[in-house]
Amino acid sequence: MKYLSILLLSLLSLPLMAAPDGKALYERNCSVCHHFKGEGGIGLPLTAEILSQVSDDYIAKTIRVGRPGRIMPSFNALSDAQVQAIVRYIRSWSGKPGPVFKTTRLQGDSARGKPLFEKHCVRCHGKDGSGEGPGTGVTLSRERSFMVMPAALNNPGFQQSASDAMIHDIVLSGRKVGGMPSFKSKLTDQEVADVVAYVRTLKPPALHQGMEEWRGKPAYIMESPYDFETTVENVKQALTGANFRIFPPRYLEQGLTDEFSVNTRQISIRFCNFKELYHLLNIDPRLGTVLPCRINVIERDGKVLVISANVAQLATLFNNQELSEVGVLMEEIILSVMEEATL
Amino acid sequence: MRKLLAILLIVGVGFASASERNLVMVRSPARAAHVMDVLKETILEYGYQVAHTQRCDGGMAEFHYKSDFYRVVFFGKVKEVREVLKRHPEMSPYLPLKIAVVAEKDATVLAAVDPRALAPMFPDDAELHVLLARWYNDIDAMLEELRELKKAP
Ligand code: HEC
Ligand code: HEC
Repeated sequence: MKYLSILLLSLLSLPLMAAPDGKALYERNCSVCHHFKGEGGIGLPLTAEILSQVSDDYIAKTIRVGRPGRIMPSFNALSDAQVQAIVRYIRSWSGKPGPVFKTTRLQGDSARGKPLFEKHCVRCHGKDGSGEGPGTGVTLSRERSFMVMPAALNNPGFQQSASDAMIHDIVLSGRKVGGMPSFKSKLTDQEVADVVAYVRTLKPPALHQGMEEWRGKPAYIMESPYDFETTVENVKQALTGANFRIFPPRYLEQGLTDEFSVNTRQISIRFCNFKELYHLLNIDPRLGTVLPCRINVIERDGKVLVISANVAQLATLFNNQELSEVGVLMEEIILSVMEEATL
Repeated sequence: MRKLLAILLIVGVGFASASERNLVMVRSPARAAHVMDVLKETILEYGYQVAHTQRCDGGMAEFHYKSDFYRVVFFGKVKEVREVLKRHPEMSPYLPLKIAVVAEKDATVLAAVDPRALAPMFPDDAELHVLLARWYNDIDAMLEELRELKKAP
């Protein structure tokens, strides 16, 4: 009996002693965006070329802090050993160790770096370093001017993870696959240091927030002075007026129960603007998790309620600042539709 | 100090912090059409009803926009939906639950909002928090099963 419990104990502690499985951790946490072997997707590719230019420390820090506002979440729940296991797994693709960079700051002058950045970098990285055009990662089915969208250089996650020496090195080498030229023959060492100093001053664009009145609330909710049927018609009309295409409405419980017991006083009016949607899916293909847009009309306790998700809040879930901005715009449109329908 | 705390509290209202993981997502090596079939079976196995499937790619093609396979599957348990809506009609935009299925070449990405992200907006309803956590566990477990599908030969 005693032996049995010792045996059991030692069996239980096995997973604790074994080194974390980097492949399993990568596939569970990273492959959805970076693909199985770093081919890229919503996330940037982690190609042999890119990996040969970045240090283990940069990868580990990137995992820890993520990229606030640029889709990649921070992985706070992973232990140091797990993060190291993921880094080792990523390195195993090429079998080559990563470069190591000095962590000391380069002596650069951002004032001298500014015009150089504007001359050599802005056309691809944007004035503020956000990158050119919407979206991140590889292009897949999306139309882009680059094969690979550059990471946001102004992102606090990038800034915290990348050392001066690493950025310096990337500028000198360029990135062939992504289409970034080498600046070896165009800039001196000191000029690159100046550019790096300027990159350090770049800030992400300020974030707009949704209307204060609705902040922190899961949904916009308005009471209609009209009866149920009239309210449904009003919402449809207001949506059409706002240039949305309307799908056949559904009962909220439809498909969850049989047609006899379904509550017919809860209707979802589903709508879409395909042109806008296509644009948005380019910014973030995960958007389907909150689609389609819908406004619910619900009758309860003699009241008729018009309800929509708080799209400004919902958009922030994606950790994608571009999408958050769209959420704020959508909020205005949806609230005006709801107001018109209940006026 | 108290003022600072108040400000922090106000800012803190709403969804959990933006850079945390608020979406449940996986990449499955199998093709989207197959993943769709298995997903629907899996949803039933976990005791939910599939309410319907929305095709997003079809609608866009009609408007001459090209896109890959893109579906959204709606699912839920009518009893749970009713109980929640009785207390919180403002939960109606999030019900039934849904999972998006998107093709990326030969692989498939699945994504859902983590229901727990809604919890901070219902600070006084502990029962709802438990339910949101259960929904998360089920969605996470279902997506894990799909992630482990094999690549089509
Ligand atoms: C939700 C999608 C997503 C997930 C999950 C994700 N990433 Fe990322 N990752 C991104 C995006 C997007 C970027 C680029 C950010 C930008 O454009 O500024 C990025 C950037 C990176 C970079 C920097 C690449 C470069 O060229 O400098 C590394 C390294 C990285 N991710 C590793 C990981 C690892 C390891 C994991 C898993 C622990 C992970 N990522 C999980 C989306 C993701
Ligand atoms: C012709 C377009 C182009 C120009 C000009 C250009 N870049 Fe890039 N840059 C890119 C692209 C595209 C990538 C991403 C490529 C990849 O990761 O494969 C990139 C990547 C980078 C990275 C790495 C970010 C990461 O993902 O880790 C840094 C740093 C960088 N560029 C800095 C600069 C600086 C500084 C300049 C000006 C001296 C510059 N670039 C000029 C296109 C350009």
